[in-house]
Amino acid sequence: MDKKLFLKSNKIEKISFIFDLLAIIAYIALFLILFKMLALPEIVNGSMDLDNLQFMTPVYEFLGMTLDKGQMNYVITLTVLFTVVSVPMFFINTKKVKTRTIYEVDSYVAGSKFVQAIVNLLSFNPISAGLRIYNTFVLIKFVKGYNPREFFKSVIPAVKKKFKETFKKRVKEDYSNLDEYSISIKQSIRRQRTVRVTILLFTYFFLIMMAFIIIIPFYWMILTSLKDFSGATSTNPDFFLSISRMNWVNYKVVLTELNFGLYIKNTVIVAIFSTVGTIFTTILAAYAFARIEFKGRELLFSILIMTMMIPGELYIITNFITVSKNGFGWVGMPTGSNNYFVAMIIPFVTNISFIFFLRQNFKQIPESLYKAARVDGCSDFKYLTRVMVPIASPTIFTITILNVFSSWNAYIWPRIITGVGGQEGKNFWLISNALRDTAFVQDNGRVMYNLQIAASALVTVPLLIVFFMFRKYIMNGIGRSGTKG
Amino acid sequence: MVSFIGKVKKLLMKLNTKMRSFFWNIRRILHNVKTKIGKFLDKYHLNFANKFPGWAKALLYLSPALIVLTIFTFWPIINSFALVVYENYNMSNDTITGYTLFGNFLTVITDESFIVPASHTGSSAVINTLIIVFISVPISVLLALFISVALNSIKPLKSFFQTIYFLPYVTNTIAIGLVFAYMFKTDGGLVNQLLGMVGVNAEGLSWVESGAVYWRSMFVLIFYGIWASLAFKIMVFLTSMQGIDKQYYQAAAIDSTPRRRIFSKITVPLISPMIFYILVTSVIGAFKIYNSIVALFGVSGAPAGVDYNLQSIVMYIYQFIDGSNAGNLSVAAAGSLILFVIILLLTLVQMQVSKKRVHY
Repeated sequence: MDKKLFLKSNKIEKISFIFDLLAIIAYIALFLILFKMLALPEIVNGSMDLDNLQFMTPVYEFLGMTLDKGQMNYVITLTVLFTVVSVPMFFINTKKVKTRTIYEVDSYVAGSKFVQAIVNLLSFNPISAGLRIYNTFVLIKFVKGYNPREFFKSVIPAVKKKFKETFKKRVKEDYSNLDEYSISIKQSIRRQRTVRVTILLFTYFFLIMMAFIIIIPFYWMILTSLKDFSGATSTNPDFFLSISRMNWVNYKVVLTELNFGLYIKNTVIVAIFSTVGTIFTTILAAYAFARIEFKGRELLFSILIMTMMIPGELYIITNFITVSKNGFGWVGMPTGSNNYFVAMIIPFVTNISFIFFLRQNFKQIPESLYKAARVDGCSDFKYLTRVMVPIASPTIFTITILNVFSSWNAYIWPRIITGVGGQEGKNFWLISNALRDTAFVQDNGRVMYNLQIAASALVTVPLLIVFFMFRKYIMNGIGRSGTKG
Repeated sequence: MVSFIGKVKKLLMKLNTKMRSFFWNIRRILHNVKTKIGKFLDKYHLNFANKFPGWAKALLYLSPALIVLTIFTFWPIINSFALVVYENYNMSNDTITGYTLFGNFLTVITDESFIVPASHTGSSAVINTLIIVFISVPISVLLALFISVALNSIKPLKSFFQTIYFLPYVTNTIAIGLVFAYMFKTDGGLVNQLLGMVGVNAEGLSWVESGAVYWRSMFVLIFYGIWASLAFKIMVFLTSMQGIDKQYYQAAAIDSTPRRRIFSKITVPLISPMIFYILVTSVIGAFKIYNSIVALFGVSGAPAGVDYNLQSIVMYIYQFIDGSNAGNLSVAAAGSLILFVIILLLTLVQMQVSKKRVHY
């Protein structure tokens, strides 16, 4: 083990990160520039002529090149594909370099480096590819002690040997000189093995079938959102789409003409404020229930738990009265004096189940820590912010994500709130009720299915990105909260 | 030029030190004042901070949550009991014509399309909801149980499958509902296309559009409900299965117990508290079904141009807040109280059953 080689390999990897990052920035910038260039149909009688969307043949000038519609779609799809491949690769690699020790490096790492180099080469990033190939040879030298030349010489014999091993003729076992008992044992072992393999195959088949059922709606959503109108409504839909026929302009129409940019902005505002409020109130309340001793603590807590059983519809009826004209007057007032955001945020700045979840977590922190802090003259609040919150930060993070998800998916309350506002309320739609209530129907009665599904994809994809980024936190949080609830 | 940069640097350094000393001075002064006040209070036995009673401190910490909860959780519970006894409550000017004890409940119960199937629709909210509950809950719980057992028995690709099965949990109900409605389209829908490939003549078979038969649109609704609810159940079952002591399985392996017996005698009894928990929560969840109906069939709760509807109890309640009968909130409150009672009764029954059957 030559430590110098290991450090050298890490250094090369770090240099290639710079180029990876540059490439990612370039892909995203290119995507944004091209997306902005996409031509929209002309505006006729105050609204966009969406029927013309699929018949347009715009020509784009980019960097001195002339691109037609298909070529433009091709380029945009490539930038999206490269981003989707290289961003996770970048994050996984940076994490690996940070955590990998010298003992974990084996020939598998060298192989994966080579595969990454090929991926880099395919995504038009030759500098990173070259660096990674160089790194592969450094790693080979580190693991096996081979020079590049020695390595190439050793490849062919190794492959031959492997080939021979796998295709070696199976020698049939000779049962002639065995007694009857051992033959029967051998046969029963064989039978058991076949049964086990069959069950395993059946299990995998079942799991794959179920996974297909789970995944098909997502696939169909992405596929349809990129089709044009006649493709989305044809009686014989395509199961695959060639790259040049992916209409990214659908997303542009949804974001601009159908106002989904505004709705996403509204949803983000509501999500941020309600999440900050929830975290604040939840931490304080959970601390009070977990650490501070006062009369009636258990009673108050059990009352809170009991209210979790009451259906939310019961609250919504009265809350609607509370926020409207005869209550706080946030909605239902004359146009211009309404406060839709406040009405959508304030009722959701606390959550009983999160208080319960966090209290359980706080309770697990040993009491002796609290006493030690008190002896050192630490006040309650300081103890909470300096000790409790850092220890429980994974749980708090899970709560944050779950709360963001629930405000992103909120439907009925925003719908009721904005519904009383009439035309003014439409500007405060959140993403879910916009999705349901936006008319995707043209004047001539055509339902623009591709645009509707593109809007759905626009709502779903951010959720999936967040999920894949913080998969561990979310899945662990759900599992644990389930076991404890 | 160089001298100019040097001067600027010196100036900045000076400014930095001055700023720092200024803040330290403020800090020192504040600290002095604090200690002086503390000494003064101690001298005259006025220092309440040390004798602060527990409940006052708790109140300070609880107040942000409690204020919001009082207004938006406790008050609605009280107020809905008040709403129920009002007669003809008018929301716009907050007036009532009188009081009634059971009038609103009677209105709900005798209302066409709540319990009694309406003459022109042939379906009612309670019947629809009960069908959804009694079909979707058992199927989804059993399916989740089988999938998690299968997942627990494999090693390669386990986390990959786990991630895929978890995907429906993080999606927007409305968005995926629209995708499902599109997939079950009559002409050129994916499902009809696949049926055609298998060999079933699905030409013009209508699922969610005009011409769909009751059970066909109900099938789509239940299918979507199961699809969306599997994720959470699998996750919880898998977590609790991983918590089972390996020794039980090893003992069973020594006795060469068949898989079916391992499943029914070890796995299921040991995770029965979790199964029970999932059963309760999913029954409650199925009773409160709303978003998926709206996503698939729109706010009216029925495919266009059919003589039935797929309203659930919650949908019946919401129609009084926004919809055809908007305004009559007393009836809505009565409906939601009935829903609450149903959920409460079911939970109690399940608790009684679980006391006898569930192995803890």
